[in-house]
Amino acid sequence: MVDVAVVGAGQTKYGNHPLGLKGMWAEAAEAAYASIDGDFEPSQVDEAFIGSVAFGGAQLGNTAALLTEHSGLDNIPVQRVENACASSGFAFRDAWMAIKSGQADIVVAGGIEKMNDLSPERKRFWLGVSGDTEWERLAGLTFPGTYALMARRHFHEFGSNHDDLVHISVKNHMHGLDNEYAHLRKDVSFEKAQSGFMVADPLTLYDCCPTSDGASCVILAADHVAKKLSEDPIWVLGSGAGSDHLALHDRPSITQIRSTQMASAKAYSQAGISAADIDLAEVHDCFTIAELMATEDLGFAERGQGGVFARNGIGRLNEGDVTINPSGGLKSKGHPLGATGTGQVVEVFKQLRGEVEQSRQVRDAGIALTHNVGGSGATCAVNIFGRDIK
Amino acid sequence: MCRQYIREGYQVSSNECIRWQGNLACLRIDGVMVKSRHTIEGAHVFGPDSDHTTLAISGLSLLSDECTIQSVCIDGNIEASILLACGYSIDEKAEWSISCGEDACVSISRGAIQKGRVDGFEIDEEFHSKISEAWLTELSAVSQGAFVSEQAYLSSSSARMNLTSQKMGDLLIWPPREMVGSERPEEGSALRWSGIIESWTKLSAGGAPSEFSLRAPILEGISTVFVRLIDGPCGVFLIADDEDNLPQIGGDVNFAIRRLYAQDGMIRYGLKALIS
Repeated sequence: MVDVAVVGAGQTKYGNHPLGLKGMWAEAAEAAYASIDGDFEPSQVDEAFIGSVAFGGAQLGNTAALLTEHSGLDNIPVQRVENACASSGFAFRDAWMAIKSGQADIVVAGGIEKMNDLSPERKRFWLGVSGDTEWERLAGLTFPGTYALMARRHFHEFGSNHDDLVHISVKNHMHGLDNEYAHLRKDVSFEKAQSGFMVADPLTLYDCCPTSDGASCVILAADHVAKKLSEDPIWVLGSGAGSDHLALHDRPSITQIRSTQMASAKAYSQAGISAADIDLAEVHDCFTIAELMATEDLGFAERGQGGVFARNGIGRLNEGDVTINPSGGLKSKGHPLGATGTGQVVEVFKQLRGEVEQSRQVRDAGIALTHNVGGSGATCAVNIFGRDIK
Repeated sequence: MCRQYIREGYQVSSNECIRWQGNLACLRIDGVMVKSRHTIEGAHVFGPDSDHTTLAISGLSLLSDECTIQSVCIDGNIEASILLACGYSIDEKAEWSISCGEDACVSISRGAIQKGRVDGFEIDEEFHSKISEAWLTELSAVSQGAFVSEQAYLSSSSARMNLTSQKMGDLLIWPPREMVGSERPEEGSALRWSGIIESWTKLSAGGAPSEFSLRAPILEGISTVFVRLIDGPCGVFLIADDEDNLPQIGGDVNFAIRRLYAQDGMIRYGLKALIS
């Protein structure tokens, strides 16, 4: 079967972006095109998958058609992919499968979200649309609340504590400090993160990612094309996805995300590797507790040991076996919902090619993982990348 | 956790009164009087999430320990669909009659209207005024909240209001599901209204869903518990009357029907957890 590589990747800066959807997408697409080493024309692209929640209701229908026509991708099959915050993680997987199946040679996967041009009221409405509306939301839950329930239960079952979450917050802010694309580039001290404004007890402001504008674009190619387009293609070694009950009350446990376990098991199996082989991981830390649980669900830490993993700084840049969120993660880099998944791919593409700022470059990075979660874990996509083809 | 809108403790002056589901209930031979425990200058007023309907449901659940009531006659202040969801039919000729007082009081009786004086909590008048205003605004405004249609709400009202479960063999299921695995579950019985707290959180006003955006700042946030019901299934519930107790993992809860929010001119009711 054909192998698939990422040959180009680009994104906008995350944060409060001055442009609208079309402008942001064009900027990300141009950056992705420019990153391709060889001769490339957008007209070579066979198909495109764009992840978006359509936050705020802007261009809820035919999102992909609108955006792609503003990036030179004319008259090709396009579609919007929606899986909440995991939208573009799944868009990437769809693009990968389109090439794997032999139906396409060059495919664009991307994502976009415009979140900060809404009133606070509208924003709060849209932030909750991906949870269980009928039973959880009407019990007062938004995602901060859902993850707060998970956090408190994890503390209770495993003896983890809020300071463990603070370690994650401080680490990710430190990693994002020099990332030119990051939304929140600020050094956050342990004491400051410890005493943040309470959002959903026990989660404070410093446990929560920001809402960001942003777009990201990745270009995938079949092996025979990839070698012509790129001097240094990044190979997709494995791609897995999973799902779980939307509502917490239907899950056997609220201290693990089964969709992550399912997705990562499949991705590791395809890649023929284990968690121990990963050099860097872009992990979906929409809340710090999400990163703590992900380190367990992805196999970097034993079940219940995510707090110890964080406390011991194992995920800090070049300090342990694996660097977690060298981009700053969602916590610092930002979380433009639909753009996050392919934004993670942009980061690992550059990390594996040695193209990020030297101050945050993972040393000898050979294998990387992206982990993109929808909502509180109803959906998850995990992709594994390598400098070398299997 | 404790909100400061309650100014004084309360005393139940009548020997026959008990505190029941966060209300004051006086059980007598031929009926029950249920009053809100909140007062302003001695007059009973509704709490932040109560009304005549919630008081009536509370009274009926108390009476159900004493006798079987299948149908009731109600006045216009009671939301009939909620009683129906709780398993009561509405009949003008029913033996039991629910009458609403001018203040926050209902009488459920098969004889004379139940009356009596009970002392309650004095609450802050400004707080009460703000909450009442917020409910009115919420009722009349076009909601920014997640849309749960009247049809969707009513179709699950028996599960929402009465903890009506489904079953598949020995497995009890709640909230209702269309399928479990590849099979459709059968209708089950109502689950018991008690459970154990498995987790909890308190959302700041800014972190609460938009449905609660008017009331959450007045309430200084909203609290939610993840509960394992003693019959097995789990659920998430808002906490009612959380000025009384802090939630704790492993702690007991029981439930009462209260207002949840308003959408499209309709009050949505549901079970809220009361910390034991």
